[in-house]
Amino acid sequence: MNILVQTKRRLSKFLMAFFKKKKARIGIYGPPNAGKTTLANRIAKDWTGEDVGLVSEIPHETRRAVRKTDISISGSNGSNITIDIVDTPGVTTKIDYKDFLEYGMDKETAVIRAREATEGVAEAMHWLREDINGVMYMLDATEDPFMQVNIMMIGIIESRKLPVIIVANKIDLPDASPQRIRSAFPQHPVVPISCLEGKNIEELYEKMVEHFG
Amino acid sequence: MPHRCVNCGREYRTNECEILKGCRECGGKKFIFVPLVERSRDEGPVPSEGTGDTVQKEVETQEVELPPGYEPLESIRIVSPGTYELNIEKLANSDERVVGVGKGEGSYLVDLLSMVRPKKKKNRK
Repeated sequence: MNILVQTKRRLSKFLMAFFKKKKARIGIYGPPNAGKTTLANRIAKDWTGEDVGLVSEIPHETRRAVRKTDISISGSNGSNITIDIVDTPGVTTKIDYKDFLEYGMDKETAVIRAREATEGVAEAMHWLREDINGVMYMLDATEDPFMQVNIMMIGIIESRKLPVIIVANKIDLPDASPQRIRSAFPQHPVVPISCLEGKNIEELYEKMVEHFG
Repeated sequence: MPHRCVNCGREYRTNECEILKGCRECGGKKFIFVPLVERSRDEGPVPSEGTGDTVQKEVETQEVELPPGYEPLESIRIVSPGTYELNIEKLANSDERVVGVGKGEGSYLVDLLSMVRPKKKKNRK
């Protein structure tokens, strides 16, 4: 890391401590395989040039919460926010090792993955309870949004009075229906994007500055 | 699930109702619950209840066990409809509820609401 970046960080920390400005910590939540880590990677790559975590088609690839700090996002009107992004494990109410076997995983590895995924859910909920100031709730736009876990999670986020943006991901796929997500959660802003292709990602950044700033 | 007599060390694997009458070996009334993990770490043969056939049957119905070093994650396990195992230590220490399903490891139900409730304050008299 070069001296300029180090100096910039130190100065930023000093100014924040001096003005007691608290950084928002934004959690990326959602069911497994919605594209949470892909979004975290894209945000981090666009604004810091670094990645956050590995992605895979097998559910529950992220089994520990990963935090990326000091991400400064600028809006088109000149305003900007500095946030920490927390990429959380996929939240679900049922985890079964048998679901992993179809991806060619051996039984022992699948059992350990199921256990780690369950611990990951607990960790994600712990972050939500203790340390999160805002939520980006990620949904796969090709899936039914009216799943019990989504309704429950949005209810929990609302009860904690946390600002939330619902991100309808995978709009590059032909079956995607962001409108279905809008009608499911009309009380919250819904931003349709494709994390993989970067489609509409600028609109998401605008919404983040407006909503979490 | 297995229980071990604290007096003589005899282990009862199959029928927990048996231990309500006391240990068949020494008549002891105190038993300790032996998690699968601990059992797999134990060395040497453990005297077990029942005939060879019963033991064989249990091995066949056993699903998956985790390698040594893993402690039970769940606070409640539904072994079969109407049969439950309670992890008293977990229940006493935490409000978070993870329910294990079936005899083996690897299938869980998670009570999300139990994980976001604020921690209870201790009452002091």
